[in-house]
Amino acid sequence: MRSRSFRRYLRHALVALGLLAALFTAYVVYLDVTIREQFEGKRWALPARVYASPLELYPGRTLTPAQLAQELSELNYQHGALAQPGSYVREPDRIELHTRGFVFWDGPQPPLRLRVRFEDGRIDEIVNRDTGEAVALARLDPLLIGGIYPAHNEDRVLVKLDEVPPILIKALIAVEDRKFYEHHGLDPRGIARALLANLRAAGAVQGGSTLTQQLVKNFYLTSERTLRRKATEAIMALLLEAHYSKDEILEAYINEIYLGQDGNRAIHGFGLAAQYYFDRPLHQLTLSQAALLVGLVKGPSYYDPRRHPQRALARRNLVLAEMAEQGVIGTAEHLRAKAEPLGVTERAPVGTSAYPAFLGLVQRQLRRDYSDADLRSEGLRIFTTLDPRTQRAAEEALAARLEALEKQRRIPAGTLEGAIVVTEAATGEVLALVGGRRARYEGFNRALDAVRPIGSLVKPALYLTALTQPERYTLATRLDDSPLVWSEPGVKEWAPQNYDKKFHGEVPLHRALAHSYNVAAARLGLELGVPAVLDTMRRLGVERPLPAYGSTLLGAVGLTPFEVAQMYQTLAANGFRTPLRAIREVLTPDGVPLKRYSLTVSQAIDPAAAFLITTALQEVVQSGTGTALHAYLPPELRAAGKTGTTDDLRDSWFAGFTGDKLAVVWIGRDDNQPTGLTGASGALTVWGRMMARLDPEPLEPPMPETIELVPIDAETGLRADRGCAGAIELPFVRGSAPTETAPCASGPGQGIRNWFRRLFER
Amino acid sequence: MRAYPALALVAALAACARVPAPSAPETAPPPVASQNSAVVALVTSAREHASAGSLSTAAAELERALRIEPRNAALWHELARLNLHQGQPSQAVQFAQKSNTLAGNDARLRAANWRLIGQARTQSGDHAGAEFAFQKAAELEREL
Repeated sequence: MRSRSFRRYLRHALVALGLLAALFTAYVVYLDVTIREQFEGKRWALPARVYASPLELYPGRTLTPAQLAQELSELNYQHGALAQPGSYVREPDRIELHTRGFVFWDGPQPPLRLRVRFEDGRIDEIVNRDTGEAVALARLDPLLIGGIYPAHNEDRVLVKLDEVPPILIKALIAVEDRKFYEHHGLDPRGIARALLANLRAAGAVQGGSTLTQQLVKNFYLTSERTLRRKATEAIMALLLEAHYSKDEILEAYINEIYLGQDGNRAIHGFGLAAQYYFDRPLHQLTLSQAALLVGLVKGPSYYDPRRHPQRALARRNLVLAEMAEQGVIGTAEHLRAKAEPLGVTERAPVGTSAYPAFLGLVQRQLRRDYSDADLRSEGLRIFTTLDPRTQRAAEEALAARLEALEKQRRIPAGTLEGAIVVTEAATGEVLALVGGRRARYEGFNRALDAVRPIGSLVKPALYLTALTQPERYTLATRLDDSPLVWSEPGVKEWAPQNYDKKFHGEVPLHRALAHSYNVAAARLGLELGVPAVLDTMRRLGVERPLPAYGSTLLGAVGLTPFEVAQMYQTLAANGFRTPLRAIREVLTPDGVPLKRYSLTVSQAIDPAAAFLITTALQEVVQSGTGTALHAYLPPELRAAGKTGTTDDLRDSWFAGFTGDKLAVVWIGRDDNQPTGLTGASGALTVWGRMMARLDPEPLEPPMPETIELVPIDAETGLRADRGCAGAIELPFVRGSAPTETAPCASGPGQGIRNWFRRLFER
Repeated sequence: MRAYPALALVAALAACARVPAPSAPETAPPPVASQNSAVVALVTSAREHASAGSLSTAAAELERALRIEPRNAALWHELARLNLHQGQPSQAVQFAQKSNTLAGNDARLRAANWRLIGQARTQSGDHAGAEFAFQKAAELEREL
């Protein structure tokens, strides 16, 4: 009996054990599937990589050695030896460089060893140092300006293992898991030590886990530290090690480990941490900075270098000491690194890119063609039009001028905001976009999203409407700038005022625009009809529906700086409309072209009218409301532009173009309170400061064959000749110039009389 | 700097060599009118890519050249030719018109633009418009 019941028990026990084993196996299989899914998922979700426009090098290009050296250092080219791609040597009149190979849209460019010689602010000659041949054209590799990452609270700056500084990996292994390259996922002695400590404290307090275990823990983002949890993690760690190489695990760890918290945004991975704490790419970290990041692994919030700098410093030095003890670094290195300050930036950049505003534009333009999921996971390579040099100049000019304006005018510091859009005049490529004065911080993108009244920036559209009817209007047409009251049903009576609160009587059209007289413009606009002016705006590229009120004629309508740029782009491109583009090409991760965003143009306005309005806009800068520009730029540049100021000085605008660049600047306050700035005293100064740093080309619009130049008497607006003092030459559509001669004009014999008069009246 | 005239000459000769027959002067690519060696190299390469059927690479190269010399009317003409080749007659017309606004008194280039506009309009079925364009071209050619 006993033996029978014992056998039964044994059988039951065996069955139970078998079931348990089966259950355990099933559990392990389940864990295996789960952990592999996690691992693969993280590994293959490659964000789209976004690149700036590559710098083109060719003989004749305006570029100084200093400018090229700056571009090279932005690209992290090392100054010194030329052995490696990505290095350069600078001499007074030349730069020798070893470019990095790069796969462009139109094919790969191998690493090149070049000698670039400069003369008079230009590239004079480029020679291939290997072949001795002259090079007509070469590109630098483009600057990586950001990525398009998964959901916003889970940013990553993914790095490949070979992009990680070796010293960081050594520090990590020295401090967190000395036996990493030897164990199979678990370090039994570490576990034993941790268990003992935890038993003593009657709860789990100590880690002692391997890097593999820490990685597993990070996949699940839980702070739970029960024994069961630990057991599960241990099994998963063993499974990971069974499936993947040490390098793969290390790479995943480096991209995954939790290293800080920024509000609701978790900082995962050393790539993002380097940016978050030091505002630089991972591969640029110094020894002491790498040691700090490694130290943070143990407790990112306890050792937060911004909130607890003392603790962080002590922890960093502990890491350095450990590295020295294990012989990872020498004594001299140790002492030098230990003496360094933490080096953490005061404020964390909010985004993952140094160019968040431009990246925002790229994302919007991409979303027309790609799903969010593709952008975040397919590893697309996106080539954009961003010109880093222009972007730097724009950011600097806005920040510097706003600060100066606040000081000069006793405006509370930090209240002024601004936005800038810069494009290439001929092709509509967006060279720079600034969404606010703190350009490095993601936030409200004023360039794209701030809809503000445009004031007098609307006037070129109004005058252009007139000038497309040469039989009725020319630049010399006399306009009436006397008091005007306008009423239309359903709208309050409208009595436009000039900025100087005066009326100027009869003024020629070109001067009314140059001095931005409101009353003359309003009367002309009403004569033309508001719908006709709105139609011109649409043709120039404004897509936003605008209300057809009289006050629209004086810019009571709101547009974003980007929309204004689109409108002025058409003027800058001789009347041809080109959609503003931020993207040139999209490639797969392997460099296969997917899509090209090609240049398109469409003639929106008659070339003759475009020429006339451009001439008038040049006069704005030469002798109208934009003369303050001469403090920044030489008059020979002959830039065209228009100031814009809105009611109570709430918005300050300047939109203008040179021979090669168009830029729109807006200044105002986010709470829409008055700034005390006109377009000329505010936005124009930003425009000038920025352009002065960009070597702009002079504006010489091509004169259409239908245009003739005719001298006009300033006083009467009639045809003048040499006898008229102060006569000006104005362009006219052939046959539209006044036929009547001014009284001052020398008829037969009059020239002699004038000569005698001048002789005797001296 | 010393390299450009030679390069331009080579490109010009290459371009001339490709003129097929006097009966079809409108399809002959004019020499690359640029003093800039990079532009000449890009246009030469774009022409090679275009004749090898890599139209989109050719377009990318021409746009690259335009970024270097945005006011070079000959480059806009080149882009017009390529668009016509790509079967995009309306863009071809636009680029030819853009070329005309920058061509100044270069009657030869303006004639070529009008001829191209005529071809593009023929392609899109606008025969009256094409006729007008061919007449403009003929007028300009008489001035030469």
